[in-house]
Amino acid sequence: MQQLADHLIASGLFGAHPPRDLIYALIIFVLCLVVFMGIAFPFAAIVTWVERRVWARIQSRVGPNRVGPNGFLQWLADGVKLACKEDIIPNQADPRLFKAAPYLVMIAYVLPWAVVPFSSDLILADLNVGILYMTAVTALTVVGVLMAGWASNDKWSLIGGIRSAAQIVSYEIPAGLSIFPVVLITGTLSMQGIIRAQGWAPNNWFLFNNPFTFAAASILFISALAEGNRTPFDLPEAESELVAGYVTEYSGLRYLFFFMAEWGALFIIGAIVTALFLGGWQFPHLSHSRVVMNVLQLITFNVKVLSVVFLSMWIRATLPRVRIDQLMSLCWKYFVPMSFINLIGTALWVAIWPDGNPVAGYIMAVLAFVVLVIFLRRVIYYLRKSRMEIYVSPVI
Amino acid sequence: MSTLKTEEMTLNMGPQHPSTHGVLRFVIKADGEVMREAIPDVGYLHRSIEKIAEKVGYHGFMPYTDRVDYVCAMFTNQGWGMASEKLGGIEVPRRGEYCRVIAAEFNRIASHLLSVGTMAMDIGANTPFTHAIREREMINDLIEELCGARLTFNYMRIGGVGWDLPPGWREKALAYLDHLDPILDEYNSLISFNKIYIERLIHVGVISAEDAINYNLVGPNLRASGVKWDIRRDIPYSVYPELDFEVPVGSGEFGTLGDSMDRYMVRIREMKESVKILCQALKQIPDGAVLAKVPRNFRPPAGECQVRVESARGDMGWYAVSDGTGYPWRVHVRTGSFAAMGIVQKLSRGLMIADLVALIASLDVIAPEIDR
Amino acid sequence: MGAVATYLGNIRQTVSSIFEGMAVTASHFVRKPYTVQYPDRMPIRVQDTLPFRYRGILEVDLEICTGCLACERACPIDCIVIVAEKHPQTKSMVLSQFDIDIAKCMFCGLCSEPCPTGSIHHTTEFEGADFSLESLIRRFVKEPVAAYRPKKGPETDPRIAPILSRGMNFLTQWAQPGGEKPPADEEAA
Repeated sequence: MQQLADHLIASGLFGAHPPRDLIYALIIFVLCLVVFMGIAFPFAAIVTWVERRVWARIQSRVGPNRVGPNGFLQWLADGVKLACKEDIIPNQADPRLFKAAPYLVMIAYVLPWAVVPFSSDLILADLNVGILYMTAVTALTVVGVLMAGWASNDKWSLIGGIRSAAQIVSYEIPAGLSIFPVVLITGTLSMQGIIRAQGWAPNNWFLFNNPFTFAAASILFISALAEGNRTPFDLPEAESELVAGYVTEYSGLRYLFFFMAEWGALFIIGAIVTALFLGGWQFPHLSHSRVVMNVLQLITFNVKVLSVVFLSMWIRATLPRVRIDQLMSLCWKYFVPMSFINLIGTALWVAIWPDGNPVAGYIMAVLAFVVLVIFLRRVIYYLRKSRMEIYVSPVI
Repeated sequence: MSTLKTEEMTLNMGPQHPSTHGVLRFVIKADGEVMREAIPDVGYLHRSIEKIAEKVGYHGFMPYTDRVDYVCAMFTNQGWGMASEKLGGIEVPRRGEYCRVIAAEFNRIASHLLSVGTMAMDIGANTPFTHAIREREMINDLIEELCGARLTFNYMRIGGVGWDLPPGWREKALAYLDHLDPILDEYNSLISFNKIYIERLIHVGVISAEDAINYNLVGPNLRASGVKWDIRRDIPYSVYPELDFEVPVGSGEFGTLGDSMDRYMVRIREMKESVKILCQALKQIPDGAVLAKVPRNFRPPAGECQVRVESARGDMGWYAVSDGTGYPWRVHVRTGSFAAMGIVQKLSRGLMIADLVALIASLDVIAPEIDR
Repeated sequence: MGAVATYLGNIRQTVSSIFEGMAVTASHFVRKPYTVQYPDRMPIRVQDTLPFRYRGILEVDLEICTGCLACERACPIDCIVIVAEKHPQTKSMVLSQFDIDIAKCMFCGLCSEPCPTGSIHHTTEFEGADFSLESLIRRFVKEPVAAYRPKKGPETDPRIAPILSRGMNFLTQWAQPGGEKPPADEEAA
């Protein structure tokens, strides 16, 4: 981004002797606006439509299909409705904390977008400590959620807030530990560095690098789901128990902030998993034009992130919820020891093969393909057994 | 170092709640997440149905019995029909009895589908609910063709049933049962054998056989604790002696005997047994009349009677006292859900709040049945 | 060793059961949704797809009502109000009021069962919501009319004959006490 700024100043856009710091600040502001307003918020809104349609197809029904073509503008209608609602603050609630909580959660959602690597040149800030920054900043949601739970002056919200705080804080550990194998292999914490160390072919992804990184990827994905309060870990907002958990007392735009943060965090989860394990934006070097390559890489990145998002929606529709003590035991008794084993295993692997072992990559990719084929055969088995009508729709 | 001061929270899981099955209220005394006690508070759905019987007479009370338990209305109809017939000494023709059994068993499948679907939804999985409701809709379509209504059927009359099977209905029913079997297996792979679901339900709300009998539990709740008691087998009525079926009993194979998972699996197995019963009944149904001759102003001789029907929720007891006029002197219904509410307080000690929801769902409590 | 076996067994069971569950939900992606998109995206009106026995809103064919008051006696909620008096000269019943309050009606069907001609019957209409409670009292008598007198043989009046045959069609669907089941070709559209 510094290069872009220098390029623009050198081209004389801002006059002869512009104040450099001010120009930098202006460019940062405009780019942040583009990313947040143009990508982060619309994604958080449109993904609600996608989720509802995907859910509905899994549940043998049609999702929203009245507002706009195939219900595409449902998110707009919901947003307008929520904005027009009355802003209710409970009588005995702490007004300052109550009002501040959604903003904190929104900040925690918006900050990671600064290091999301869309393509080789499109990244807001290629920090040296990119992935560490992302992990640190997503943990800010704990403060917002605890504030929401406490300030609502509602015992059910309090239970939801405490559950959520315990959950997010606990699952930071397996998530952080699962990032370390990748860092061990590449030696850098920067997002672009990690992606450049992978290749475009599946056997060059870190997912298939060695069995320990495969396990680390699974643990990272599940821990990220737990941090984002997604089923099977959505106890804080378990509708059938706590009505809506820590957001029970919120209405209108404040509620909208909480939920945009939650749905938008899906993209962040997808971005982390893609950048670290699925090869990021890597695409075969087909053209010498920088613009064309960037566009292709952008498309690749988005396709991969959206597949991870789709996977998390699919999991949400299938699995029931775990209980709070089972969630804690899962984290501390299963994920943390396994993460340590992954870390030690990757360290040994890197010690034995410092330049990587391509054969392992091929073997693991082939194994994954075999598992995929077995999965598809089960799907066809269920389709045939139930003898229900097949209907493939072009739009979800 | 001084000890930390802790307080007991009193929470209200109020009558309006997305997961209590109907309007139920619980006052929960909790220590954080673990409950000390959950005290049920019933009565929000009391409609004086038993008193209304004294005003509308024997024939006119039949639609009201639907509302006692609207999810399995055929059984309530059958109970009232049997009570009136016993008072008046009326015999139902054989084809009428077969029609009753067919309608009742379809309703049992529908009620169990609703029960397992809402149980899965309470545990957090939303998909099995819609799948179960989809299958239930197909049963509703079948019964709509049979008697004209989808929920409050008013299908049975004193002395038999109100309508005979329409032409072509038997084939549709058999085709549906053929379609249902693989769907139940698919449902099992989706949720019943899911490790997360099993972990949520095992060892939760364990009821020993002795406790189950002492607290008057009936139906799948009782059978899941290992007690093999089914009115269709032990106090046979209607044409059940001619039909061949098993009575599923809880086995504790997943966790402890008598826990929530056992109650859930007993319901799933009962659905499969009902499919067997229906296939037999639809093939064996004889020809003849479906309704006995009962006078319009039905005046049974003075006396009292008690009948028991195995409804989807257990042994439903109907007690009627007649004083010789066309209006009953007293009608009383004893339902399984009312007894199940009595054991919730005892079982809830030491459970977590999430487990309370699973417990109520596994006891298959329906609010109108508790309060009538 | 047993603890390790349980530990690994738990992991294996979790993975395999989640695999099966995901296969089931994946198979639902390509199945037809069961939703019926009522009321605007349906090829025919829902009311025309309902079976003949459907117990919708009540309707009275006054041309064949005999004024026997059997339906009023049978209704458990007293939602039918009929005023029928004997005309002093012609000695036939004259109906001056026939109101059904469908706000109270519970669609049980006990009124259409004892009707001798099938004049009170259920339709397949179920959309009865309206803006005022008074509009839910359906008044079927506009001006006092003589009740119908069923003839010994078949009905000869060409205006009443089709209504009577339709009414009797409704009645044959009901179970006949002590009689045989209805003939197999008696399924009305």
